[in-house]
Amino acid sequence: MAKKKLSKSLKDFWYGKPHTAEEGGRRLGELYEDKTGLFKHREWRGVKDTFYYMYMIWGYNYVHMVTDILKYSDNPIDFFKGTWRYRWMGQTYLPVIHWFDRGLQGMRGPALRASAWHYRAMVSASIQQICNFFNGDTRLHHGKENDAYRHTFLAKETTCGTLFYPWMDAGYQYVPIEMIPYFVTCHVNSHTVLNYIDAAQSIGLPGDPCPMCQAEAGIYVLDDVPDCAPFVITCNEACDGSVGTAILQDWFIDKPLFAMSLPMQFDDPLVRKFCMKDIEECWKFIEEQTGVPFNFESMVKRLELQNKLQRDEWEKWEVAGKTDYYPVNGVAQALFRIFSTQYGIQGDFWLEASEKVKKIMYRCVEKKINPFPQTRHRVIAWSCAPLYYSNWCTWAYNCWGLNTIINMDSLMFDMEIRTDSYEHMLEDMATYHMWAPMRRMAVGGMHHIFELWDYMERFNCDMVAMYDQLQCKGMQGVHGLFEDEFRKRNVKAFWLPHALPDCRTVSRAEIRRLINDYMTTVMHEEPLDPSLLDFDDSMTW
Amino acid sequence: MCKIGKFFLKLLGIFLAANAVLFVVFFFDLDGKLLFNVVEPFLKNHYDNMKRKDVLTMPYDTDKFPKYKYDE
Amino acid sequence: MKDLKHLIYFENLLQEANNELVQQGKKEGLRAIGYTCYFMPEVLLDLPGCFSVRLRAPRCTSPDIATYYMSGRVCHYGRSLLERALEGGFNFLDAQMATETCTVTCRFQEHIQQKHLKSVDDMRIIDNDDFFCEFTDVPFKNNENSYQHFETQLRAHVLEPLHEHFGIDISDETLVKTVEEHNELCRLINEIGDYRKLDNPTNPTITGYEFHVIQLVSLVCPKHLILPYLRETAEELKTREPNQKKEFRCKVLLAGSENDDPDFTKLIEGCGALVVCDRYCYGAVESRQPIVLEEGKSPLRCIAEHYLKTSNCPRFMPQDEMRARKQRIANLAKEYHADGVIVASNKFCEYWSYERTIDTFILKRDYGLPVCSIEKEYINSASGQLRTRFQAFVESIEIKHIQEGKENG
Repeated sequence: MAKKKLSKSLKDFWYGKPHTAEEGGRRLGELYEDKTGLFKHREWRGVKDTFYYMYMIWGYNYVHMVTDILKYSDNPIDFFKGTWRYRWMGQTYLPVIHWFDRGLQGMRGPALRASAWHYRAMVSASIQQICNFFNGDTRLHHGKENDAYRHTFLAKETTCGTLFYPWMDAGYQYVPIEMIPYFVTCHVNSHTVLNYIDAAQSIGLPGDPCPMCQAEAGIYVLDDVPDCAPFVITCNEACDGSVGTAILQDWFIDKPLFAMSLPMQFDDPLVRKFCMKDIEECWKFIEEQTGVPFNFESMVKRLELQNKLQRDEWEKWEVAGKTDYYPVNGVAQALFRIFSTQYGIQGDFWLEASEKVKKIMYRCVEKKINPFPQTRHRVIAWSCAPLYYSNWCTWAYNCWGLNTIINMDSLMFDMEIRTDSYEHMLEDMATYHMWAPMRRMAVGGMHHIFELWDYMERFNCDMVAMYDQLQCKGMQGVHGLFEDEFRKRNVKAFWLPHALPDCRTVSRAEIRRLINDYMTTVMHEEPLDPSLLDFDDSMTW
Repeated sequence: MCKIGKFFLKLLGIFLAANAVLFVVFFFDLDGKLLFNVVEPFLKNHYDNMKRKDVLTMPYDTDKFPKYKYDE
Repeated sequence: MKDLKHLIYFENLLQEANNELVQQGKKEGLRAIGYTCYFMPEVLLDLPGCFSVRLRAPRCTSPDIATYYMSGRVCHYGRSLLERALEGGFNFLDAQMATETCTVTCRFQEHIQQKHLKSVDDMRIIDNDDFFCEFTDVPFKNNENSYQHFETQLRAHVLEPLHEHFGIDISDETLVKTVEEHNELCRLINEIGDYRKLDNPTNPTITGYEFHVIQLVSLVCPKHLILPYLRETAEELKTREPNQKKEFRCKVLLAGSENDDPDFTKLIEGCGALVVCDRYCYGAVESRQPIVLEEGKSPLRCIAEHYLKTSNCPRFMPQDEMRARKQRIANLAKEYHADGVIVASNKFCEYWSYERTIDTFILKRDYGLPVCSIEKEYINSASGQLRTRFQAFVESIEIKHIQEGKENG
């Protein structure tokens, strides 16, 4: 008996405890401190994976959070000044590693390694953006407009980064205004954004518009946007609320502003010409403001890299859809994809990470390694995800064996842009812009949102995690039809209500409770890790 | 033992000790605990008490900017 | 003041979408074409052989089935329209000319659109074999590119389908003639509405409520059938004697989102504020500006330009346009001698949530206009709360007048 126990202990030490509901299985829920979500101690994943995590993820990323600043910042002191000046910066930058912890909890072997590379690229891109913010920020430079200020494009985060490629050879950088202060912040530290939502409502904005748009407006209300560029570009993506936000932003920015007006009915071949002209008008505005002409070569250079990244993604999707060997978990897949496509190619980080992930993936395919061996259901996540709990899918795998294979956001930018001629490039740019972001399935006719059934088939999924963004008018407007179709098609689907960045509306615990209820009462299944069923992480980042 | 050997042993000792400390910090989430319990409250307090510009006093001039039209 | 001869008749016409005149129009063999948004040019739907009906869902207070389909967290207007459609209230429609100009009305129109898809069932909400629903893409700007685009869209998605489905004559000559008839209606409505510009706050020739009713019937009935009544009303007003005793304590401009509920105007006026100007969706400020046909441009092009140039919808995004909207409200307040502005947005209306917020600050700060900012439902069942707000607003205007030493009556 003692020998058996010792042997089990040694095995657990070497490999980590098994992912099973049976006695002796790992119990990740027991690692959490009450309420804060901090760890009593981090997970022991076996010798190899624990030390991989410690050195190659925890240590490596801490080190790179310093070296990346040195790499991208004109003056590292600005970074510290910015941290002191902006709430979204100080409160978000430091808990980054905990964001890794939440997303990679329970991952082992190739899943741990591949998912971490996606995270790594996002951190690198974030640091670059932060440095671009601070390099030209007049608030950090005694009100002076320096060279970096004159070489920065500031645009609403829903404007695609591709638009600015033609000026990048001339040393220009693009900063999506709200991507770090709002979008990234929500994922890393969900406390920060609440200040901005409250600020927007403090000036009389009702509480019912999309909380993403409220938060975007709130950043301005709290005067928390760096003054780092001479002009601004906005656009009508992704929804009515975004358009509304632009009205407030124009007031608070008070700089030359160009509004891109992308057509909604993108299936209609007649709209493309209009969209192409609108993009060209935007480029003329940039030329007028900067005095620097449009450079097609600069555009092509980056579009080709972007296309390469797209082809990589297709390759990954092929493996994800047709095999059990795709090593990236649901949250790493979703965030990497939406972040990289929205920000565009402004560095090597996306492609480098993609190469590393592909290498891990090839190995899994060759050696037939299933990185998610406890998968019970292959899940497709549809509609827009809760930003404060994007790692719900990590929890769902650990607790119930629900493996989120793909999500709607990933599928939006699903095209290459031709670079053989200006006309072809412009045509494809028009389509790309009309499709993204958050628009490919959201506008242009409700049949697009029901492409879900095709994607379920393509990715071989047997279950739907239906995000229910309570303040998204577009998705609420088709709620009943989805209910009808789920019933008619006998599709296993659970609703996951949330309010995008605002963790106060539907708590993480409530989301877990709803999934637990579905899995027990509808699916009649037992959890793989009962310790994860119910725990209090109400105060967590 | 020669001096060089001692030096390398010392170096190895420092390396192992540093790794042991790092491991303790890593394994017991001491970085998270420090950030959550000390750094974030301190920074929050700082941001909450920062003097901020009242953006509602920003001008809103109808004619400040030209019409950005490039198609006529 | 003597009651308007046709007011009760007009009020009855507003009790349901398929009203007496709509039924009469259908009996004459005309096609009923529905629409929801100002950006769908009403004039094109009034071509010979068809007539426009701007959709409303009067008296819809509990849209239960629509709430199942669209949840309770979207604009009550969109849900009410769907509820009315599900009840069969829009079965008289032969077509819906749809726009994706705000999310919820778009979703409503997508529900009634025939889908013919494998991905989602067609609910056949509009039980009419002839019915079709066509979407037009409406730009968010008013520049040359947008005019061209909108013209192309209107030809492809409004005129041609009307011709193909119902054999409607869409020639330029017919368009010109229809614009003339439309302009006559505009002239009549403006003639009626211009009494509100007179500087006689205590005894108006026409109340805001009466005008609201008249404007609405002009939107929801076949034009040729409602015109005789409007002509008669315009004549009647020429000799109408205003009341001698003080009826209202101040004049206000009502701006904001969708509003097709005359009882809302009545509620404001019941609190002592005469509504002299209606700058909201379904109001006359934009929709009753005559269309100018310019030489050298096709009638359709002129129509496309007209609707993009006259709109004050907050979905318009060019910087100069966003800023000019506030100036226009201030100009209107001056033109109509309004003492203050009520900015009202429907609950869950995203565009107007933001526009209202900024209007509330800027109109007061930069133009010195008192502003009452409110959020309302499509059908205002919570009138008690609103009444309190409006009464307080009227009092604040009176206090302002006293402080300014201005004669108040």
